[in-house]
Amino acid sequence: MSFMNLKLLLPLFLAFALAAGCAPEKKELVFAVGGAPSELDEWESVIEDFSREKGIKARLLRQPTDSDQRRQGILIPLKARVRNPDVFLMDIAWIGQFAASGWLEDLNPYINKEGYDLGKFWKNILDSADTFGGELVAMPVYIDAGVLYYRRDLLEKYGVKKVPEHWDEFIAVAARIQEKERAQNPKFFAFVWQGAQYEGLVCDFLEFATMEGGGIGLSGGKIKLDTPANRAAAGLMRDLIFKHKISPPNVFTDMKEEEARLFFQSGNALFERNWPYAWGLHQAGDSPVKGKVGIARIPAFPGRSSVSTLGGWHIGISRFSDAKSEAWEFLKYALSRGTQKKLSLALGWNPARKDVYSDPEVLAKYPHFRALSEVFSGAKSRPQLPYYTQVSDVLQRYLNSAVAAKTDPASAFGSAEKEINAMMERYK
Amino acid sequence: MSVLSKKEYRPYYFIAPLLVFICLFILLPIVGTLFTSLMRDVTFLPQKFIFLGNYSDLLRDEGFWRSMRFTLFFIAVAVPLEMLLGTAFAALLDMELPMRGFLRACVLIPWAIPSAISAKIWQLIYNYSYGLANFLITHLGLSQGPVNWLGSEGGAFAAIVIADVWKTAPFVTLLVLAGLQAVPHDLRLQAKIDRANFAQIFFRVTLPLIKPVLLVALLFRTIDSLRIFDVIYVLTNGGPGGSTASASLYAYKYFLGGDFGYGSAVSVLLFAVAFGMSCLYVKVSKFESEI
Repeated sequence: MSFMNLKLLLPLFLAFALAAGCAPEKKELVFAVGGAPSELDEWESVIEDFSREKGIKARLLRQPTDSDQRRQGILIPLKARVRNPDVFLMDIAWIGQFAASGWLEDLNPYINKEGYDLGKFWKNILDSADTFGGELVAMPVYIDAGVLYYRRDLLEKYGVKKVPEHWDEFIAVAARIQEKERAQNPKFFAFVWQGAQYEGLVCDFLEFATMEGGGIGLSGGKIKLDTPANRAAAGLMRDLIFKHKISPPNVFTDMKEEEARLFFQSGNALFERNWPYAWGLHQAGDSPVKGKVGIARIPAFPGRSSVSTLGGWHIGISRFSDAKSEAWEFLKYALSRGTQKKLSLALGWNPARKDVYSDPEVLAKYPHFRALSEVFSGAKSRPQLPYYTQVSDVLQRYLNSAVAAKTDPASAFGSAEKEINAMMERYK
Repeated sequence: MSVLSKKEYRPYYFIAPLLVFICLFILLPIVGTLFTSLMRDVTFLPQKFIFLGNYSDLLRDEGFWRSMRFTLFFIAVAVPLEMLLGTAFAALLDMELPMRGFLRACVLIPWAIPSAISAKIWQLIYNYSYGLANFLITHLGLSQGPVNWLGSEGGAFAAIVIADVWKTAPFVTLLVLAGLQAVPHDLRLQAKIDRANFAQIFFRVTLPLIKPVLLVALLFRTIDSLRIFDVIYVLTNGGPGGSTASASLYAYKYFLGGDFGYGSAVSVLLFAVAFGMSCLYVKVSKFESEI
């Protein structure tokens, strides 16, 4: 660059700096959210309405669809303690880390001041997912819990009256129908679920581990994974693929939510474990399984009752925000009955508010909501550890290896336990 | 270098902008990462100077060693393949072929596609239910049923190597082709007059002359492979069973979980290995004197 240019640029730069410094600071609320383009467009219209109705300047910070990238996009500014974004959506699994890092504003003072009614929300969700060290650090915006989709037409065709509730019965029905269906469709597999090495695998595993002592156990600062219940769960997951052969072999390589959904939706499966979002897509106009799908609870081991892992996205306010009261206004707006209904009708989301589930207009469009609200009240949240990601990361690795029949469940859980306990030492 | 005349100073003015750029965007982050790696920098715990604490934990971390072993094994397999294929293509494209310009442009296409996108394409090819690879082998009758390419450790490893070689061999081609064109035509003509055959000319005349370029390509490819991330992030995300987690992917997972100190320590060790390798290459090749 020549000096000539520099001489021109310098005053220009100074002028800009001066203008920026002197301009009266106008607070603008920044709301960070990611997701599919249709979801972002919907949020765009929510934020527009909010700005107009409340007279608060607000802007959407569009994030990618991928949840790891969404997390990274919020984690970096919070770590740097910058004031934007003011308010954002978090996956339920991040709340522990974000809250323990002191990044989330306690909402209790706002709620107490205004007498905001928390009774509209599921208490089990607020308690297990949104409360950290006595502070209410987030609120659910929409809820997810694992459910079992089934092909109503196929169960009828083969004279199955009731969706099996226990695994032995489930496997028998699945194997029988698969064998018959294979005659016409060699690509047919009875059951698809999430087995790739990622967070979804842990969610599925927690739903399989319904026996006494199953799941991620914590006591005295140590983790307990190698239990008979967990071995049975991982063994079952492996056997579905290798012994009973009712799940396709790519379950443990590339099957995440969308892979399972597409497999089921193309008519190649009888059962599918997925989140409620798949319902709307299964029932869409171009779906080959439209009108043939039902929703049930995920099977359990004999004598035990079904467990669903709680998922979903929660809204929180940054502790470094310079527009906290505006952010609180937005939070209330996002959780208002009107917005929740609008988002639900447009995107098929499961609202966080109970009263939307009895709304006639919503029920007319989504009759399956009746079944869901029962699932939500019994859904279990994942352990709320600040280092849950690291725990899950190790568990995913060994679990995937056990599901892929490369390691037997006992030694997989033994090694995972050892590695996680060593890691937990570091975070004491 | 005691007293430099005014004229001898001049080159330093010219490289000054580059030096500033390097310091700001390369040296500073390296020093910063090194500093962070000596801290307990975890978002949910008070920050604390722990000196080599992260490193001593790393040495006992089985997951880290596994990722390191994978990374080194990946280099040992992928880089020679890239060099071999890249050089072969360069030798071909150096010959008098019809439509040579067009062919040269074609070879560069994989290199021009962003890694994440090419990895996504490969993922679609390897897909179990609707991938091209399974379509081909079942329709050509090579296999009874579809193969779960990314399902076994060996399969996933091979898939990553293929995707990476496909993308980066053109880079080697580009460098070697430039080297080949600098080889004086007379030398090869002379060898031909002496009745040397094609192989003799290539191995005795051309190859020694392009050795410096080959070493540069080797150095670039080794260091680049050491920090492999994007292809794996998209293709397997470390699976199955953590068997394809590269060291940078391992570091990334810690950054994402809020443990910046530990992630930085992994990065610093990777940097040390890369730096060591560069020094070794430079020493072995003595390419300072040759270039």
